[in-house]
Amino acid sequence: MNHRRLRRLLIVGSALLACACSSLGVKPWQRDILAREDMQLDSEPLDNAIDDHLYFSKEASSGGRSFAGGGCGCN
Amino acid sequence: MTFSAMASPCELLLPATDQADAWELGMIVAREAWRVEQKYSRYRDDSVVAWIHRTRGKEVEVDAETGSLLNFARQCYELSDGMFDVTSGKLRQVWRFDGSNRIPEPLAVKRLLQYVGFDKVQWRPPHLMLPAGMEIDFGGLGKEYAVDRAFDLLAERRSAPFLINFGGDLRANQPPPHGPWQVGIERPDTDRDAAMVLELERGALATSGDSRRFLIKDGVRYGHILDPYTGWPVVNAPRSVTVAASSCTEAGLLSTLALLHGIHAEAFLDMQRVRHWIFR
Amino acid sequence: MQLKPRPTVIRRGLIAASCVLLGSSGARGQEVVQTGGDAETDGGQIDWLLDSALAYYHENGRIQAIEPVVSIRKDDGAGELVNFNLTYDSLSGSSPNGALPSNKPQTFASPSGKSLNAAPHTYTTASGQTSVVSAPIYTTSPGQLPVDPKYHDQRLAVGGSWQIPWSRLTNASFGGKVSYEHDFLSLAANASIAHDFNQKNTTLSFGINDETDAVRPIGGAPVPASDYALFEKSGNKSKNGAGMLLGLTQVMNRRWLSELNLSVDRFTGYLNDPYKIISVIDSGGNTTGYLYEKRPDARTRKSVYLENRVAWNRASAALSLRYMTDDWQIHSDTAQLRVRWWTAGHDQYWEPTVRWYRQTAADFYTPWISSAASSYLTYASADARLGAFNALTYGLKYAFKLNDALDQPGSEFSVRLEYYQQTFFNKLPAPAALQGLDLYPGLRAILLQVGFSY
Repeated sequence: MNHRRLRRLLIVGSALLACACSSLGVKPWQRDILAREDMQLDSEPLDNAIDDHLYFSKEASSGGRSFAGGGCGCN
Repeated sequence: MTFSAMASPCELLLPATDQADAWELGMIVAREAWRVEQKYSRYRDDSVVAWIHRTRGKEVEVDAETGSLLNFARQCYELSDGMFDVTSGKLRQVWRFDGSNRIPEPLAVKRLLQYVGFDKVQWRPPHLMLPAGMEIDFGGLGKEYAVDRAFDLLAERRSAPFLINFGGDLRANQPPPHGPWQVGIERPDTDRDAAMVLELERGALATSGDSRRFLIKDGVRYGHILDPYTGWPVVNAPRSVTVAASSCTEAGLLSTLALLHGIHAEAFLDMQRVRHWIFR
Repeated sequence: MQLKPRPTVIRRGLIAASCVLLGSSGARGQEVVQTGGDAETDGGQIDWLLDSALAYYHENGRIQAIEPVVSIRKDDGAGELVNFNLTYDSLSGSSPNGALPSNKPQTFASPSGKSLNAAPHTYTTASGQTSVVSAPIYTTSPGQLPVDPKYHDQRLAVGGSWQIPWSRLTNASFGGKVSYEHDFLSLAANASIAHDFNQKNTTLSFGINDETDAVRPIGGAPVPASDYALFEKSGNKSKNGAGMLLGLTQVMNRRWLSELNLSVDRFTGYLNDPYKIISVIDSGGNTTGYLYEKRPDARTRKSVYLENRVAWNRASAALSLRYMTDDWQIHSDTAQLRVRWWTAGHDQYWEPTVRWYRQTAADFYTPWISSAASSYLTYASADARLGAFNALTYGLKYAFKLNDALDQPGSEFSVRLEYYQQTFFNKLPAPAALQGLDLYPGLRAILLQVGFSY
C-alpha cells in the first residue's frame, strides 16, 4: 500500500471522527454489543504488550495506542 | 409457615422451632410482606404509589422509606445506563400479556414513550415531582425488597437458621443443622421433570422470568419484559434467570437487568461475576 | 497507560446502593452451590482477574527469546481499577552488530571489552593504528553477516496502574514501570485524565508520561563515532524522555467504536546502541575498520493513531492505522487488521491478523561509511532498525473459554502464532568488493504464545 494513500486515509478518518462527535452515539440502553469483550479497546492487553515489545525492538516506531517509549534496552 | 402476599405463595422456613415461636415469627414476616405490598402496590388505591400518581405533576414530600427506594431506583437507573427504569410501567397501558395475539399499534407505543424515562422525574430528596401522565412502579423491586425487610426484622430477633421465600425470591441467614437449604428452580417450558436443585447456605436468590406472561402473534413470541427505550419487548430474552447475591434486592435487580439484555444476558452476568443460572 | 471507557461492571455500585437502602445487611455475603440438574450458564464471584502469557520468539538463525508475562487486575465496579504486571524476558542467540559481511574473515571483541581471561588480540583501526586487547572474541566467516553469537540478555519488569473516578464522568489514572537488565535500567511514570461527554458516547483523554533510563553497557559506553579498535569507553550514560497523548474515543453506532490518538514524545541523552558498529570501507569496498555509531542526542516523534472496531453477531474486526514521523527523518505507516470469529456457542474464537508496516530510513542511517567520509562524520548508524524496510506480519490466534470448566467467568486459554518478516528497500548499490554479498538480509521470525486468563 502506498504510504501517501495511507496517510490520506488517516487524515480523512480523523476529520470524520472529529466533526461527527456530537451527532453520533447510542442511547445508554443500546450498549449491549459495545459491552462485549471483543469490543473493548484493551481487549487483549497481554497480546498487545508482547507485540508492542517485539515491534519496539525491531522497528523505529512505537506507541500510538498508548505511550511510546520502550522501557527496555532493546532500543 | 406459609401465607399469600403480592400475588405469590410466600413461606417462612424455620427448622427445629416450636409452634408458638414459629407462629410469632411467621406473623412478623407476613405483616411486613403485607405492609410493603399495601404501601407500594400499583394495584391498590391506598398505596403510596397511587397517591403519588394523584398529585398530577405537583411537587410532594415523600416519607423516608419511599425516599430511600427512590434513591435506590435512581442509583439503579444510572448504574444500568437507563435500562432499569421504574417509570417504564406506563407501557402496561398498551401491552396486556394475556397469551392472546393482541399486540399494540406501533404508534400507540410511541406516544406512550414520552411518559417514560426516569430522567424526566425531578427527585430532590425528600421532594418528588412526577410529571403528569407518568407513573412510578416499584414492581420490579417490591418483592425482593420485602424479602430483605422481613429478613432484617427476623435477624434482629433470631440467630437460628431461617429462610424467607416470597414466590421464588428468597434469602437465608445460615444453613440449617442438617445441611444446606435445598432450593428447587423450576425449569420453564421443558418436559424435564426434575427441577434444578441448588444448595444454599446463606444469602439470597432471585429469579426473573419470561415464561408465564406473553403474547403470540404470527408465530412470534412477545415476552413481557419491555425495553424502556423502544417500548417493545426485549428480543431473545432468556426464559428464566436466577441470580445469587448477598441481598434479594441486589439479586433481583441483576436478574431483571439480565432479562433486559436479551441475547446478551449471559455476557452481562458473566461480566458482573455473580453466580447465575440462565434457561432459554 | 491509556484510559479506556470501561463497560459497566455495576455490581459494586449496586451492592453499595443496596446497603444504603437496606442498611448493612445489604452485603452480608452469600454461598450457594449447585447440585443436581444442569443449567446452561453458571457464574462465579471473584474480583481479581489474572492474565498470563508465555511467548516464544525465534528469529531465523539469530535471536530466540522466552517471555512470560503475568498481569492481575481488579475492577471494583465503581470506577476504580488496579493493575499489577510482571514481565520477564530472556534473550539468547546471535545479534547483528551492524558491520557488513566481507570477503575476508572478520574478528570482533565481545561486548565485555577487556577481560583478563581472554587471550590478547591485535585490532587495527581504519587509519592503520593498532591496539592489543584481551577480550573474548568471535569471528565471522567470509560472506556471513557479522553477529555476536553469544548474545544474551535477561530483563525483569514490574509495573502497575491505578485508575480512580474523579466524578461520575471523569476519571484519573496513574501508572509506573520499572525495568531491569544487567546493562539497562528504566523507570517510567505516567498520569492521565479522561472525561466522558454525550451520554458517555465521547471520551476525551489527556496523558503525560516521563521516563528516565540508565544505560550501563558492559565495559562502558563507547565514545560515539570513535574507532572500534581503540575501545575508548566513557562509562555509564543516561537518557530521558517525556511524552503527551491526546485521545478521543467515539461511539459511532451500536456496532462501531472509533479511537483517535495524537501523541508526541521527546527523548534526549545517550540514544546510541552501545554495541553497534559501522563498517568503514575503502574505495574498492574492502572493510578497513569499524566505527562505533553516533546518533543525535535528541529525538522528537509525533504520531497519529486511528482505530476502528466493528462488531457483528458472531464476529468483530479491529482496524488500526498509525502514522509516525520524527526529526531523524523516519516516517512510518502501520496498518493492522484483526478479525475475530466466534463459534456458535460463543465459547471459542479464531482470530487471524495481518499487519503491514513501512518505514523510511533515518537521515544518518548508512550501511557503511567510506574511509574518505569517516573523518568528518556528524551522525551515522548502521543499525538495521533505523533503515528503510517493509514488514509484514501474519498471525492466527485460537482461544476457548473455560467458564464452565473452571467455574469462573472470563477464563480463557489461548494460543497464538505469528510470522514476521522484514524486507529492505532503497538499497544502495554495492561497491565492488561487496558485490554478491547479501548486505540487507532483512529478518524472518515467528512468535508462538500461549495464554491463560482466570
